[in-house]
Amino acid sequence: MKKWFVMTMIAALFVVAACSGNNGGNGGNASPTANGGSNTPTENPGNAGDDDAELTPEAGASLVIWDANNQAQFLQEMGAEFEKEYGVPVKFEEVGNTDQVNKLMTDGPAGLAADVLLFPHDHIGNAASAGLLLPNTAFEQAVVSENAEKTVKAVSFDGILYGYPRSVETYAMFYNKDLIAEAPATFDDIFKFAETFNDPANNKFTFAWELQQFFYNFAFLASQGGYMFGDDNTNSEDIGLNNDGAVAGANLMVEIKEKLLPLNTGDIDFDIKKGLFLDGSLALDVNGPWAIADYKSNGINFGVAPLPKIGDNPMTSFSGVQAYYVNANSKYPQAAQLLARFLSTKEAQMKNFEMNSLLPSNEEAANDPAVANDDIVKAFLQQFENSTPMPSIPEMGSVWNPITSAISEIWNEGKDPKTALDNAVEQIKSSIGTN
Amino acid sequence: MMKRHRNTAAILSVALQGLGQLYNRQWLKGIVFLCVQALGLYYLVPRLGHAIWGLVTLGETTQKFVKVGKSTELVKGDHSIFLMLDGIIVILVLLVFVLIYALNIYDAYQNGKKRDEGKAVRDFAASWNHVTVNHFPYFMLFFPVLGVLFFTIMPILFSIMLAFTNYSAPNHIPPAKLVDWVGFQTFIDLLQMKSWSNTFFGLLVWTVIWAVLATVTCYFGGILVALLIQSRGIRFKKMWQTIYIIPYAIPQLISLLVMRNLFNAKFGPINQYFAYFGLDGLPWLTDPFWAKVTLILVNMWIGIPVSMLLALGVLTAIPRDLYEAAEVDGATSFQKFRIITMPYLLFATAPILITQFAGNINNFNVIYLMTGGGPAKGDYQFAGSTDLLVTWLFNLTLVNNKYNMSAAIGILIFIMIASISIWSFRRTKSFKEEDMLS
Repeated sequence: MKKWFVMTMIAALFVVAACSGNNGGNGGNASPTANGGSNTPTENPGNAGDDDAELTPEAGASLVIWDANNQAQFLQEMGAEFEKEYGVPVKFEEVGNTDQVNKLMTDGPAGLAADVLLFPHDHIGNAASAGLLLPNTAFEQAVVSENAEKTVKAVSFDGILYGYPRSVETYAMFYNKDLIAEAPATFDDIFKFAETFNDPANNKFTFAWELQQFFYNFAFLASQGGYMFGDDNTNSEDIGLNNDGAVAGANLMVEIKEKLLPLNTGDIDFDIKKGLFLDGSLALDVNGPWAIADYKSNGINFGVAPLPKIGDNPMTSFSGVQAYYVNANSKYPQAAQLLARFLSTKEAQMKNFEMNSLLPSNEEAANDPAVANDDIVKAFLQQFENSTPMPSIPEMGSVWNPITSAISEIWNEGKDPKTALDNAVEQIKSSIGTN
Repeated sequence: MMKRHRNTAAILSVALQGLGQLYNRQWLKGIVFLCVQALGLYYLVPRLGHAIWGLVTLGETTQKFVKVGKSTELVKGDHSIFLMLDGIIVILVLLVFVLIYALNIYDAYQNGKKRDEGKAVRDFAASWNHVTVNHFPYFMLFFPVLGVLFFTIMPILFSIMLAFTNYSAPNHIPPAKLVDWVGFQTFIDLLQMKSWSNTFFGLLVWTVIWAVLATVTCYFGGILVALLIQSRGIRFKKMWQTIYIIPYAIPQLISLLVMRNLFNAKFGPINQYFAYFGLDGLPWLTDPFWAKVTLILVNMWIGIPVSMLLALGVLTAIPRDLYEAAEVDGATSFQKFRIITMPYLLFATAPILITQFAGNINNFNVIYLMTGGGPAKGDYQFAGSTDLLVTWLFNLTLVNNKYNMSAAIGILIFIMIASISIWSFRRTKSFKEEDMLS
């Protein structure tokens, strides 16, 4: 009896599955398009004319923009102006800049993400290779003509422009004017000054940076010929972190450890370094524009200068470009592109400079007297000229761990720089190979 | 023929859900079954084919960008992960309806049998009564089980399935790229490819060492503190208890971040005290070995209060006369502890010991907040010297988007914890003899 029962059940299941199986066949065959998986925009033959430059916001459009909390006021004011001009309301939502791409990975295709995003350019590789960003072809000419070439490259991926650059940032050298009247121009000057000031036993340090962060350490390796990836940081087969220049840079780090900073890489982090600088125990602090507000509000008498030269070579820092991007899955892509452009014009960047001290990426704005006469901003912009935008290719994820541990082996355990760096590059290559 | 009704009813129910019930003259029940069938077909027919197609192929077209004039537009394609999720949901719904369908045939058959035997079939009110009174627990459990199906089973199925795909950055992240089934390739890579297996086995060894040491130190540390507080001649017992419970009451997020600064080798107070006594201090968080020691010390500080509370509770429950008898026999304090106290404690707390062990394998907070996995270790893939498997999994998922690899690791962790827990739990005395303490 039982067997009979089971047999009927199975038969019935097949009937149900077969009935609806047909449906699936149709669903699958309906779209026999090639499975290329390319992000490159293909020319649409029907609409090839390029006279159609004007974007018009979709009827009934409303936009959401993600940005960090400190941009709230700027975006509210600009949003109101945008609505006045285009009739499209803009809503600001607070999402940290470095969290946006991770959020976009899930929320973008699900239709829950903001229409316009803002994140540092080193995240663009992940976002663009996942097809989450709308290429910026509408305002390509404007972006290329207004910004430095490296800025444009930083917000492009695989030769396609995605971003609407808003501001640039890099680190430079903060100096405490009460301890050292003029910023030292070279490392020789620093070592000379250290003879009278440096006293680690009593917590007096001449020069410090976040030793654990390769973001900063890179400047030492890169200043004499080291580099991350070849071909403007796009060729992951060519890694320049163990060439002669990089080794020379690592040797300088060893010298700094012996003479200036006799501690372990893990001992100094952002907060500890800030504490030292604030109570006058640290004379020269390698830091970014994000530290300005804190140092100002604590009443420190400080100045900012470009990083010191090594011999005759200026130090090459890592830089970041903050840019707006349009979510590929935005319901109102035309309005979103207009907004991204609206927020990144020269006028908008000037306003953002006045409100939030952001360094403009727009070259005209950077040369505007209001910007160029600000000593602090000028120093950062000078350093930016000697900087390399962080690589944005996804292979970058395989670099941090091996190179950070190589630096800490060199610094903490006195391992031979050449051996440690060779080993790190070996590991990076094998890690990239497993992707 | 005596089987006439039961066969006809069952076959009718196979043909159309509820028809057998109607044949058995259970009108209302038959109509309810019919409606459920209609609902099921209404939901499933347009979806099932697409769901199965989606699950099998995980999509066939990718999205692309098309230039329209100067601006660019998106042409949507298939999103493999959404297809997979939709597929799982539809299949689960199908299973629910198939179960109801089976119940319907079984019910028709049983009631037909009753008619064959000349008994009356229940009317709807009586059936309702039967379900809600006689089978009340099943009735009440039905809705939570539905919840479990969609909020627990579904995500678990989803993450298990991910382990058999190539869903990982940078080359297989939808919607730009499609995800494909790759069978056991992820597991093979994890266990055989040098850079992955090196990390996996390295972290596995440290995870096991950590789980054992963290559990043992907290457990015996807690018992020791409890014994000290309970020992004769100690005054202010309440005060000691309160002091020792404080670490448990402070949110870990805060205490661990403070600890992190305390243990800073150069600027932290601990090494500054050492320097005060002319000692060199230790690289608490910057040396791979000492970082592990520091983690276990800090974990003791956090974990001892719970074990202490447990032990205090059990200690007060041990009958005094056992100790008195032991004293009459001339037992030393250590003998009393070994023969009376410890067996009682172990009996009562062994299941908790096992859950603590399992919990320590996944002890995310301490590692993540104290060291963040550091110090860095170059030959590990996306992990540092003190990372546990679970913090590695976190990094792989949220920082590096290697979803397939982290799903595979998740499965392995689950198998490990489940088997250790089941095996050791079945060996505890409290599982075998429930009534030792009564």
